Amino acid sequence: MTRFLLGVYFAIAVAFLVLPLVLLVPISLTSSQFLEFPPKELSLRWYREFFVDASWVNATLLSFKVGVGATLVALVVGTLASVAIVRGSFPGRRLLHAILVAPLIIPTVILALALFIVFLRWKWVDSVPALIFAHAVVALPYVVLIVSSALRSFDTTLERAARVLGAGPVRAFFSVTLPYLGPSMFASSLLAFFASFDELIITLFVSGGLQTLPVRIWTDLVLRLDPTVAAAACMLIVVSVVGMAVAEYFRQRNVRRYGS
Amino acid sequence: MSRRRSFQLALLLGPAVALVGLLFLFPLFGVMKQSLFSPGFTLESFAKLVNSPVAAIVMRRTFVLALTVTALCCVLGYPLAYFLATMSKRWRAFFLYLILLPFWISVLIRTYTWMVLLGREGLVNNALMGLGITDGPVQMLFTGFAVHLAMVQILLPIVILTCFASMVEIDPQLVRAARTLGATPFKAFARVFFPMSIGGAAAGAIICFILSLGFYVTPALLGGRRNIMLANLIDFEVHQTLNWSFASALALVLLAATLVLLGLFRLVAPERRLHG
Repeated sequence: MTRFLLGVYFAIAVAFLVLPLVLLVPISLTSSQFLEFPPKELSLRWYREFFVDASWVNATLLSFKVGVGATLVALVVGTLASVAIVRGSFPGRRLLHAILVAPLIIPTVILALALFIVFLRWKWVDSVPALIFAHAVVALPYVVLIVSSALRSFDTTLERAARVLGAGPVRAFFSVTLPYLGPSMFASSLLAFFASFDELIITLFVSGGLQTLPVRIWTDLVLRLDPTVAAAACMLIVVSVVGMAVAEYFRQRNVRRYGS
Repeated sequence: MSRRRSFQLALLLGPAVALVGLLFLFPLFGVMKQSLFSPGFTLESFAKLVNSPVAAIVMRRTFVLALTVTALCCVLGYPLAYFLATMSKRWRAFFLYLILLPFWISVLIRTYTWMVLLGREGLVNNALMGLGITDGPVQMLFTGFAVHLAMVQILLPIVILTCFASMVEIDPQLVRAARTLGATPFKAFARVFFPMSIGGAAAGAIICFILSLGFYVTPALLGGRRNIMLANLIDFEVHQTLNWSFASALALVLLAATLVLLGLFRLVAPERRLHG
């Protein structure tokens, strides 16, 4: 009996978590000027609006550009650092790991203010490369967490075997360790990409006139409420869900292939 | 060999140290400097912080909100995690996926869905009027209620997952042993299961509390002017009153609170949880 009640409660809670996102789909398909539920008439009007309006398209393209840039920076920097942290033995390893992961938990508004102050001094406001590096800081924790945990569970005898068979340390790393890390790096780069793609607060502070997709959504929400945002949000949800499912698939496949 | 080792290490760590040093640690020091020097050392902005009634109200409100949201998430999340931990493996994977799903979507979008649902013509108001519970639309947007509701929905998965992670580690044999030895189901739960799962719940609560303290988007969009939180006040001081020193002092308070809570987290959470 208790179990049954608990089950009912569980179902309600899952609905509470998931349903608001699902309900966005019919709302975005309205043909009317206003957000309404249920929509009186279905149409793709607001999806068309999204792709016709240059400000939406440009914001999306900028977000992709910044996201890809930040992901590449975070991936290279994070993977190198993970190798050093897991394999090396130097004082302050744990502290360094904690600092690299810190942007994940430190309130973003603090970092936004901090970057805003130095960017103004350096005249970095309104610059795409600066935004890429700022986003890389936020994306870095995902790479460090996932790649260093994959490295920790890697059986180093494989690499030593390659060394015994005559490969140099660099070659052993590239032909044995890197293929093992590949899926984790891929999964972490997807997470890193979304960390940048969804980033709002830092961008609001330091981007000047640049509009990424979240900033474009934000300005729309603060000023008015038309269903283009609903259409944009639906597409973002689909992209996030598919992207994360792919990341999870690769991570699990690696766990299965090499054991955990 | 040793020199080569340190050269390799510098090569591996150099980029990370440069990136995080230049764009994370150095700017944080900048905030500290901004709040304490102008240009000589001064405690002016902290004095202002202590004396400002607005700052006091906002800090208190933020603290109370974070506490309420955390308490709600724990009370709601613990039984959910328990149910999840005790169901069959296949269903568990499916529901874990469902619970993780909203977690992957940005806070901006998840807040937006509540703007749509809670608006005057939104689904909730239409349902309330359709069922005859209310005559006219109820004001839900731009209230504390909306902020609480959305924040619980956004943060609940985190608490569920941390509770769940510590619960699946518990050997079910132990509870069974307690039952065999004559404990009632409730007593077996209270004396065996609960004490073993409380560490994970505490860790989840702390993470939830830290994240709540820094919430910016949800209070701004759902709370309106009367529900401004600390993060929004920092933004306001930067962009509206242009008082960066005061904003920096506020940010330092938020940072200090976060660091204290992280220290607490390390005390309650098992080591491996922090280091993967």
